[in-house]
Amino acid sequence: MSKYVFFILALSSISALALITIFIISRGAPIIGEVGFFDFVFGMTWAPGRGEYGIFPMIVGSVTVTLGAAALGVPIGICCSIFMTEFAPAALRNFFRPAIQLLAGIPSVVYGFWGLIFIVPLIREYLGGPGLSILAGAVILAIMILPTVISITEVSILALPPEYKAGAMALGLNHWQAIKTVLLPAAKSGIVAAVILGIGRAIGETMAVIMVLGNAVALPQSILDPVRTLTTNIGIEMGYASGTQSQALFATGIVLFAVIMLLNAAAQFITRKK
Amino acid sequence: MDYKIKIEAFKFFYGREQVINGIDLNIPKNGIFSLLGPAKSGITTMLRAVNRLSDIVPGARMEGSILLDGKNINDADVNVAELRRRVGIVFDVPAPLPMSVYENVAFGPKLLKKGKAEIRALVEESLQTAALWDDVKDRLNTPAQSLSGGQQQRLCIARVLALKPEVILLDRPCSGLDPISTAKIEESLIQLKELYTIVIAPHNVQQAVRISDRAAFMLSGDLIEEGANTEIFSNPVHKRTSDYITGRFG
Amino acid sequence: MKKILPLIFTALAVIFAGCAKEHHEAVIVAGSTSVQPYAEVLAEAFAHIRPDILVDIQGGGSSAGIMAVDTSVADIGMSSRLLKDSEKWMWHVEFARDGLAIILHPDNPVENFTIEQLRGIYAAEITNWKDLGGKDARIHVITREEGSGTRAAFEELVMDGKFITPRAIVQASNGAVRQLVSNDKNSIGFISLGLVDRTVKAASLGGVAASRENITDESYSLYRPFLFITNGAPEGDAKIFIDFALSPEGQRILSLEGLVEGMNP
Repeated sequence: MSKYVFFILALSSISALALITIFIISRGAPIIGEVGFFDFVFGMTWAPGRGEYGIFPMIVGSVTVTLGAAALGVPIGICCSIFMTEFAPAALRNFFRPAIQLLAGIPSVVYGFWGLIFIVPLIREYLGGPGLSILAGAVILAIMILPTVISITEVSILALPPEYKAGAMALGLNHWQAIKTVLLPAAKSGIVAAVILGIGRAIGETMAVIMVLGNAVALPQSILDPVRTLTTNIGIEMGYASGTQSQALFATGIVLFAVIMLLNAAAQFITRKK
Repeated sequence: MDYKIKIEAFKFFYGREQVINGIDLNIPKNGIFSLLGPAKSGITTMLRAVNRLSDIVPGARMEGSILLDGKNINDADVNVAELRRRVGIVFDVPAPLPMSVYENVAFGPKLLKKGKAEIRALVEESLQTAALWDDVKDRLNTPAQSLSGGQQQRLCIARVLALKPEVILLDRPCSGLDPISTAKIEESLIQLKELYTIVIAPHNVQQAVRISDRAAFMLSGDLIEEGANTEIFSNPVHKRTSDYITGRFG
Repeated sequence: MKKILPLIFTALAVIFAGCAKEHHEAVIVAGSTSVQPYAEVLAEAFAHIRPDILVDIQGGGSSAGIMAVDTSVADIGMSSRLLKDSEKWMWHVEFARDGLAIILHPDNPVENFTIEQLRGIYAAEITNWKDLGGKDARIHVITREEGSGTRAAFEELVMDGKFITPRAIVQASNGAVRQLVSNDKNSIGFISLGLVDRTVKAASLGGVAASRENITDESYSLYRPFLFITNGAPEGDAKIFIDFALSPEGQRILSLEGLVEGMNP
């Protein structure tokens, strides 16, 4: 009897996924057909009031903000993991670890608000531009993905047999050389998985970045330019969109879906290969 | 007799915990010296102290001295990297580096910035001595991970040999290996003992009996007894030694 | 007896709840987020004189509000734009006017625009403050989102068919625009005149300052009509609320908030 109950409960989560997928595709697909796939994905102008539905600037926005976040967050995260696993005394480690988990617990909207009050004026003051920019989004997201990158990298390094490091040092390498030459390459697939998961999280973020990106619909020309991502586009226009425009937003959702599923598949493939 | 390694009044601590309680031990040059004893006797710690690999454990502390060719290895002017090349170590778990077979053995010589031709010669020579050359000569560029357990362990021995050490430390090198691999390794060691000082912690008494020239018995951080092969295995002085050797505990 | 008591209490609660519902079914007012704060002030004052009538103010945007009245989801719609032809069949009254102020950072040396210059700035034809007599710095153009009544008003009154540059920064409320302009010395934005405070300054248009008098006599041309809309002539509690808004007391409250009197019939 309980077996059937579990089965039905499991089915319900899959059906939620199926329902959402079908809903999004049914609402969004017609407009991709109407506007044309290439005009939709590669169109440069988003102006629903005039019937133009090109999302390319938003794709560029998503890609640049996410890559920026990865470029900032991944090296810091990996260095932090290495510090925690290899150099930190136990007391410091026991302080760092929960502190980083706390970072993961901060709601996205709080990140966005903090970014608006703190990061945006800094950028405006010292780097120029309106401050609302790709860079602001990248900085916020870099901080948000740190817990993911750090914890998975840490696990990958800790999973290595201690003889790897001992063996390298026994051959005459010092600690840092041993880490660089042996530990990091050995933990590579775990680190790559951490990076991909971090990127997946960054691409899906909306609330954290909607306040700091500036939301301009044009193609950005520098990291100090304001920009829109696929997610913030939906977030901003959702409130008043109707008819074709609302369908276009669903179609944006389809594109997002596809991208995130690809990323997840890639992460799974890479971690399985180990 | 010419002592390669002299251990004097040696104590070792991990933080507050004392694991070695004052040991005096002399290890002669060349030949196979076994360090026997049940688990948690401090044997691994002792071995690793000889090439100062124990340094990397946080909270590690020692008293007393270890002399290599008469010089204290813990003196301030000792180059640790060089010490570890002179005193190589093979662990109980085969730990090939995540590289090809060739790269693994070439790793040490490359660090010493030797020329390509010299490295190639060293690699072949080391693999021959470790009785692995025939197995891998056609697949030097395959990942080291693809070798069997016994082959990986011999690879680790070759890796150490490539640095032309003077002492080779082995910590239960054959644990987990099948009898044939074990026999091959023991064969290599018996040949190596002519030129190298070998200190081994065997994983059972029978192995010690088979290959050692001298042996020492450690129990819970103390040195109970040491002596030549012929004496200690047939006529041990202490009761605890004979109990361990005859398998009454272990 | 012990078992009956809870039963009696529950029954009483249900009856009273039903009673409560009957007397206090709220008047639902929905629509423009620009009108919303003013409607809320009216509702608060209204609650003092008619505490029995509950007025529930919601946002959603002018278009959403009009649609809500059309489908009878809301009793009163708020709009900050004139009705489209397809919507004109609904009953409506202009209960106030909201000046549209062009705001700049208080330290910005520029203080006046012509309509052509304003249009040029928002169409990204004029891109540097120095072309207007200001500092040598890029102009950061800030606009509202596409569905905003304030933006629609701006486009109609200023842009004359030209498109607002896609490079403009988009913010989703008057307050957000004001906050951004108050922090960025090189920015320009548009908000409700009633929301201008000391953190920003309102520019004059063609020499005419943005003030209440200038809106009433229409010498300052940028203003929006604030409309209340109902499905058919207003009746019941909704009518009472609208009457209050149009009464001298209601109009006094609105003008304290920065609005200008409308052209009520």
